[in-house]
This record gives sequence, structure tokens and C-alpha cells, in this order.
Amino acid sequence: MQTKFLQVIVEKVKIETSSVKSFTLVPPRGERLPGFSAGSHVTTYIENNGKKLERHYSLASNPEIPNEYVIGIRKSESSRGGSEAWHECIKEGDRLFISNPKNHFPLSFRARKHVFFAAGIGITPFIAMMFDLKKRGIEFELHYAARSKELCPFFPLINEHFPEHSHFYFSELNNRMLPDLMKEQPIGTHVYFCGPELMVKQFSQRAHAYGYPKANVHFELFSPPDMGPKTPFHVKLSKSKKEFYVSETENLLDVLLDGGVDASYSCRVGGCGSCQLNVKEGVVDHRDQFLSDEEKKTLQVILPCVSRAKSKTLVLDI
Amino acid sequence: MSMLNEDVKKNYVQHLSTEPLVKRFPFPFHEDSYRYSNNSRQLESGLCLDITPEYKGEVEEKRALLEKFPMKCYQSFSHTIEAQWEVLDMLIHEMVEIYPDYFTLKKQGDVWIFTNYLLNEQDTFTFGQLNTLPCEPLDFIGRHMQEDLVIVSERDQDLYMDAGQLCFPANWSLVFDLGMTFTEWHSPVPVFSDKLAAKVRDFLMRMEAGKPWTRYNWTLTVEHILPTFAEDFDQWAPKKEKITKENIGDLVHLRVEDQRLFRLPKSNSILFSIHTHLINLNELSENREWLNRFSKIIDDLPEYIAEYKGFSEYKLLLSAWLKETLYVKKL
Ligand code: HEM
Ligand code: FES
Repeated sequence: MQTKFLQVIVEKVKIETSSVKSFTLVPPRGERLPGFSAGSHVTTYIENNGKKLERHYSLASNPEIPNEYVIGIRKSESSRGGSEAWHECIKEGDRLFISNPKNHFPLSFRARKHVFFAAGIGITPFIAMMFDLKKRGIEFELHYAARSKELCPFFPLINEHFPEHSHFYFSELNNRMLPDLMKEQPIGTHVYFCGPELMVKQFSQRAHAYGYPKANVHFELFSPPDMGPKTPFHVKLSKSKKEFYVSETENLLDVLLDGGVDASYSCRVGGCGSCQLNVKEGVVDHRDQFLSDEEKKTLQVILPCVSRAKSKTLVLDI
Repeated sequence: MSMLNEDVKKNYVQHLSTEPLVKRFPFPFHEDSYRYSNNSRQLESGLCLDITPEYKGEVEEKRALLEKFPMKCYQSFSHTIEAQWEVLDMLIHEMVEIYPDYFTLKKQGDVWIFTNYLLNEQDTFTFGQLNTLPCEPLDFIGRHMQEDLVIVSERDQDLYMDAGQLCFPANWSLVFDLGMTFTEWHSPVPVFSDKLAAKVRDFLMRMEAGKPWTRYNWTLTVEHILPTFAEDFDQWAPKKEKITKENIGDLVHLRVEDQRLFRLPKSNSILFSIHTHLINLNELSENREWLNRFSKIIDDLPEYIAEYKGFSEYKLLLSAWLKETLYVKKL
């Protein structure tokens, strides 16, 4: 049996650095938390001043320890308030809902060696990965950049558990973490990046330049962002000559079905592709998870259970 | 494993539905036409097990097959052991939470005492310790349920069939498919394997724990035979030769697989369960809406699907029988 959301209690709040706190989440008494695989994250749901805040955080603890998740959060002034709310409002003993662990950043199964590159708070997924690899006796190394030892989140933990595997680069000491560290690695090495977008981009480009196959290069991609506001549109059916209006609160598939159109569908959440229809005219506002980015650009199709129109009118080939 | 004494047995029979099959059969169609598509829906219940009145008979049949043909019915790679414990953990807790009258679990630390009152059995083992179970964890838990179970691992951006307990296959072979990727093991399916299979694989790789999926698959089986292994094709497939206009309603069964898909968060693999239901055409016909819809589906079905499902030889006969039965029922 699986449930959509997990209720957790904040057991411990720990100050890791002046801008990073870690939160230990445990299940309510008598209940259990699902296990997680290294590289997983959870979505947390908290409220601040009546605003619902949904954020994704990597699980930064040993996956072998049951019924406990640790997340590390850096307070960011530029954020939309999620990390600030966590830092300022969440106390020990608070209850909240989170998603099940999801993994968009799994370890490679076939890698002979794993090399991790982290900047700042980007360290979090690698902590679980290192615990996992150490247990399984698989070779790995960590390269970790921060401003200083004091501003380096989880420095004591990493030093305690993975001293031989870890290399630190503190910019205050003029130590820089450079992509050439990837150059002299054995065949079968996989590299992983986590940090600011710019760093990830730079390291990926260099990895490709050094000849790493695409499948050996990994970086974290969180679930798609909010798709933006929904706008109303008209839809015309070129074969049956029917016309409908889809308001901002309705979805196209329901409008078609209500209008007596014999449309196919299955999941109704943009995941399965069953409801795909051909588009003759108009610009599609793709909101599904089924079509690849490439297909969204090149195919003239729509998944009406979630996707909409960017243009005022959409002409469908049905 | 030990047998329970008479006095601790619970009276379970009354809890199991006694409704006739036609009232509770999972009719798989919601349209008058059928093509291969990704017909997955979100599984709202979040549950894997579906205990039906056939429980005892089917579980006994499964166990007999596992004893007699262990290799044909059970296969696994050693790297799936962790995922297998995760499956056992998930299913055993579902059993005791959803069916507390049928199953109980007592824990003393890692020592688990599991009781199955439907079969009158008790097992004690240490969670996580392989040598305390009579067989591998997937094999163990599968022997307490009607569903077949397959573990599909996600490794390096692909899906692999890495373990399974399979007693009631619809003409496929676990030994043959083990270790294959999703698109490889689906390669015999016409049209589906062209492009859709790869899209479905990508869809499954995005599957999240807590948001399981379900779909129906269907085919036709001659006689009430659950174990139609590809390995035994010569034994069950020729049975279609004896179909006549007179006996088709008794002999031919609609075979529906209630398939469910769960992401396992600890191992990041996928559990695929198959609950197979069989109903003969006479019984199915008692529901006129179903009969009508099924008749339209058969008439509209492309030859390649009938061919793959193995009934193109008697499709005309079937179509005529369905129409005639429908006509008689309307009188
Ligand atoms: C990941 C779990 C899955 C497993 C283990 C699995 C396994 C199989 C196997 C072994 C076959 C028989 C192929 C043969 O002829 O040898 C099959 C058939 C098929 N599968 Fe899957 N499958 C899975 C998921 C899916 C999903 C999600 C779809 C969604 C569209 C799908 C669609 C099909 C179709 C259309 C057939 C042909 C069935 C027929 O016409 O009777 N499978 N599958
Ligand atoms: S119904 Fe599944 S993608 Fe639209």
C-alpha cells in the first residue's frame, strides 16, 4: 500500500553554517517512513502567511538508517520565500506533509568509479550517495567547493565518514575546484554535478569535451516548474465543424467529452499519451510529461487532458 | 512454517465476497474499439492485493507450480535482494492493514511473526536475513497472494526485468525475458513495439512512489487454464482446434490481467503485479452491455492484434457467436 503524502515531525533543527540549517524529519509515533535510494529528494509542503510553499530538497543522510530523513536548506534571499520560511518558521516538534522520496538523480549501476563535484549546498544528494557506495565497497571521490571551512555545510560529517574520499576547495584560501579533475580518470568513471546552474553547465561542457559519454554525466533536474497561468481559448474541430470555448478553469479534454466528442483518454494527468490529438492551427501550451521537448517543438499535437492553447484559437484535426 | 491449531483459526469464509463472477469481473473496456495504447490510469486505492473468493484454490495452484517447476516460475538476479525485501515489507504491511482478519504480523525487533489465517499458517523470520526464510523474499510473499510479481529495475536510464514470480503467464516466459530491457521484452508485440513501447518506458521511468498506476491487459484462453506458459505452448494452444459453434461459449474465456505498477522508493525499482481473471463467454454474456461492447470490439479489431493474441483462427466464429447471442438476448 502506498499513500500520496507522508506526515512527518521535525525532530531536530541543526545550524550547519551561518546560512544553512539541517532538519531531521521522523514519522509520527508508531508509524514508519518509506526507505529512500541515494540521490532522492522529497517535496515539502509548508505554509507561510497563508501562502502555500512547495519545495524540493535532497535527502542528505544515510539511506541505511530507517525512519529518518535529513534535509539541508540554505537560506536564500533571492528565493520565492521557501527557504526563508523553513529557516524562520519551522521549529522542532512541528508537523508537516511531504511527498514520498523521488529519485531523478540515481547513481549509475554500471559505473566503475563515481566522482562527485559539489558547490555549497549542492553537497546534499552526495551525502546519501557516499554512504551507499561506501557500504557496497564501490570506488568514489568527492570534490567539494565552499567559501571557507566555516561556511562549508556538513563539513564535520563528511570529514568523519569519508576522510579519504574527500577533497575540499575553499575560495578564501584561494583554492579552486577545476573541471580538469575529470581529465585523468579511469574508463568507466561517471561524474556527477550539483551546485549553481552555471557551475553545472561549465562542468558538463568540459566533461563532454574530455570525451565522457553522455550517459556517464549526471546532474540533478528537479521536477518541472509551475507551468504559469492558464488562459481561456477557443477550439474548432476541422472535421466535425464543432466549436467550443475553454475557460481558464476548464480543461480541453472535458470540454470535448461534454461536447459529445468521442475522445480517447486514460490517465487524465498528462502522463500516458492516450489522449493525443493532431493540431491543424494554433500554438499549443504544452503542460504534459509525456512528449519530449523535441516532440513538443516539432510535432503538431496536443494532449488535451492538461495542455492548452497559447493562441486565441486552436484548430484540431478531428 | 507451522500449521495453526484449530482453535486459533479464524472464520474467514464469510468475509470473502460470494457474488457470482459476472457481478465482480473486471471488464476491461470503456470504449467500443480497442487498439494498443498506453491505457494506464492512476491507481487511486494504492493497493496491490485483490483477494477474491478464488484465493485458496489459486494460491494452492501457484504453490504446486512453484514446487514442480521452480525455474519456470521463479527467477531473480542477486542484486535484487534488497528490492525483494522492500516488496515483502510493503506487501506484508498492506496485508495486515487492509485484511486484519486474514493476516497478522507481530514484530519483536527484527523478528517478524507472520500469520495467514486464510491458509492457517505461521512463519517466523528475521527481516533482512535471507537464511531465515525458506526461499527468497519475493518468492515467499508471492506464495501468499494470487498476483504474479515482477521486479523491474531502473539502471542507467533503462528498465530491466530483474526478478519475478510468475505462475499464470499469458503466453510468455520469465526465463527467456529475464535481464531484458523493456523494449526488448516487448519486441514481439506488433505495432506497440514500433514506437509506443519506448514512450511507455519513459513514462514508467517518471513514475513516483506514492503515485502507482494500473492498467488492464486482455486476451482469450481456451478452457479455464491460468498457467499458459510459453514453454507449454504445445499443450494448451492446440485446444483451440476443438472449438465449435456449440461449445465456444463454454470453452473460450476472456482473460483479463489487472496490472499494477509501484515505484519502490528504497531500491528505486518498479514492482509490476498481475492479477489474472478468467470468465467464460456464456457467463460474460449475462451482462448485455458487456456482450454488446465486446462484440463491437471483436468486429473492429485489426488482424494483427487477433493474430498476436492467438485467436485469428476462430475470430469469425467468435464474432458470429457474439452477434447471435446478443440477438437472442434482445428478443
Ligand atoms: C513494467 C512492467 C511491465 C512488464 C513486466 C510487462 C511485460 C509484458 C510481457 C512479458 C508481455 C508479453 C510479450 C511477449 O509476447 O512475449 C507484454 C505484453 C504487452 N505489454 Fe507489457 N509489461 C509491462 C508494462 C506495460 C505497460 C505499462 C504497458 C502500457 C501500454 C504495456 C503494454 C503491453 C502490451 C500492449 C502488450 C501486448 C499484450 C497483448 O496484446 O496481449 N506493458 N508485457
Ligand atoms: S489522458 Fe493521459 S496524457 Fe492525456
